[in-house]
Amino acid sequence: MPAQHRAQDTAHAGGALSLRGVRKQFGEHTAIRGVDLEVRAGEFLSLLGPSGCGKTTLLRMIAGFEQPTNGEIELDGEDLTELPPFRRPVNTVFQSYALFPHLTVAENVAYGLKRAKVSRKEIGPRVAETLEMVRMRDFAERKPAMLSGGQQQRVALARALVNRPRVLLLDEPMSALDRKLREETQLELIKLHTELGLTFVFVTHDQQEALAMSDRIVVMSEGEIQQVGGAEEIYQRPANSFVAGFIGKQNFVDATIGEARDGGTVTLPTAHTTLEATAEAVAGFSSGARVRAAIRPESIRLAPETAAASNSAGADGPATNSSTGVIVGESFLGDVVQYLVRLDHGPEVLARVPFAAATDVGEGERARLSWDPDAVQVFGDE
Amino acid sequence: MKRLAAKVLGPGALAFPTWAYVVFFFVIPVSMVLFYSFGYKPDEYTTVATDRLSFDRYGEVFNGAVLSTLLASLRISIVGTLLCLAISVPFTYWLATKVRPERRGLLLALVMVPFWTNFLVRTLGWQIILSPDGFLSDWMQGLGMLGEPLDILYTRSAVQIGVVYNYLPLMILPLFVAMDTAGTRLREASYDLGAGRISTFFRVTMPLAMPGVISGCVLVFIPLTGDYITASVLGGASGTMIGQIIASQFNTAQNWALGAAMAVSLMLVTLLVAAVAGLLLWAGRALFHRLTRVQLEGVPS
Repeated sequence: MPAQHRAQDTAHAGGALSLRGVRKQFGEHTAIRGVDLEVRAGEFLSLLGPSGCGKTTLLRMIAGFEQPTNGEIELDGEDLTELPPFRRPVNTVFQSYALFPHLTVAENVAYGLKRAKVSRKEIGPRVAETLEMVRMRDFAERKPAMLSGGQQQRVALARALVNRPRVLLLDEPMSALDRKLREETQLELIKLHTELGLTFVFVTHDQQEALAMSDRIVVMSEGEIQQVGGAEEIYQRPANSFVAGFIGKQNFVDATIGEARDGGTVTLPTAHTTLEATAEAVAGFSSGARVRAAIRPESIRLAPETAAASNSAGADGPATNSSTGVIVGESFLGDVVQYLVRLDHGPEVLARVPFAAATDVGEGERARLSWDPDAVQVFGDE
Repeated sequence: MKRLAAKVLGPGALAFPTWAYVVFFFVIPVSMVLFYSFGYKPDEYTTVATDRLSFDRYGEVFNGAVLSTLLASLRISIVGTLLCLAISVPFTYWLATKVRPERRGLLLALVMVPFWTNFLVRTLGWQIILSPDGFLSDWMQGLGMLGEPLDILYTRSAVQIGVVYNYLPLMILPLFVAMDTAGTRLREASYDLGAGRISTFFRVTMPLAMPGVISGCVLVFIPLTGDYITASVLGGASGTMIGQIIASQFNTAQNWALGAAMAVSLMLVTLLVAAVAGLLLWAGRALFHRLTRVQLEGVPS
């Protein structure tokens, strides 16, 4: 029986959303500055950005709680823009869960079905099946106040899923959970998404969460989309320095485009040292242009100063992609060790070394940092 | 120190100010009123005697004129409470859902402004409004709504209007708090699940505002039933309320025994009405639960 229902759910698969020229103005403040976005049917899409970037406003416009000032929102070719929230085949899991405190868990989950005039005979089994899916069936008779945060979150999920929405909107649903519970819930959500084949639009400010769960990520800042892409693409090939800095840790330095070298690399003089990047990375920048260079902490190698000195300082001019400094901080992050190094010419640099490869240089000691040319990313100076 | 006091005097000692207040200002006076109600007025110059106890004063209360005034007062207070509720529900719903939060304080303050004015003075104000040669009467005649001067002052209708005006803030405040706690988030969740505005109002907002409705009704109904200022200012001879008759027994007639019997009867009737209302509420709630009930097989209630 449950298998049959599930087959129905899958048949009722997710819808494709299309946002065109969506803008939202709150008085003087522009929350969304023109967003064009295609959400594919059945995908898990995350809206990622710092607080105030407009991701929640965008979600609320899809749900129908806010009206876009300009632009259109379509679901499978049908215009949703003017529809009130209760006419949209879309359901939301709210950040604060917003469970009805006067109703039991089962009644909360049945709420949408009753409004849709589903027959009493069908409501019972569907509520039971959905609560089963989130492992909350035994709590059906409880009031929300008697549940833990994690349990409330699962009920909120069931209350939205039971209606078989074409798009499920999730507004930072895990922000109130502790880390361990959050990781478990992430896995459960991925599983549910795969099983049900619904379109998920997931709002989060937690990049780890977005990277771990999504098919595609929309990085937003100040009401604009900065980049849309898969987790790996966004991490490895950020479109601009905002995305580069927002996703993962980054060491930034201002530089100028220098000259091409043998072996397909280009020099990038900075105030105190010279970087060397691949020609690919600087494609599109002319010689002498001011840029921001970025190097991920995990791309930096760290060694005791003496050992590294011999192989890096070549005969033909000053050493590129290498620097020396003092380790001022060392923290053990489990699988990696993170070092904070103050370079001899002033700035501080983060380096992350796999625990197994960590050397025995410690805090207060001198170290040499080095990295490969393809670790250097180059962005326009904004 | 606290622990020592609790050990020596028992835990009740810490609550001394509270129970002392209740005993001195409630238990003792009410007991005295109850005791006097079984007494009689022996002569012109004595207010009460209790050497012979009887139910005779209650006999006087429950015959004829006093009983009909009691019932009329009860009608005014029940209708008054329902009118306050009928005005407050849409107003507080609007205030809690449609008004920008930064404006709410101002509007609530405006609701409270009459409260800063003396009760008697603001009731007297209604004499001017309702009088046959007052501006309301003139306007209504000018607009053709009335053929003759307004004839409402010194009637039960005037008292009815007056009490609704005087007790409205006591309904609005608890109801607003309740509507506000029901919250935008839950209404949005309801819309999100396919419920329209009306459905959301009856299934989410009102059920959650019930504690406010109950406390508002209690706050309005009980003092309203005993009110005698509004009735004496606006009611005249035909709009007398039980509170006035009780007051006159104590002040003018100097018959404390009869006044006490009336007071006790009023209390009992008020409690009875409250009990009936409570029963209706309980039945309504049971009905609501029957309608929302979702019972899953194999899950113990």
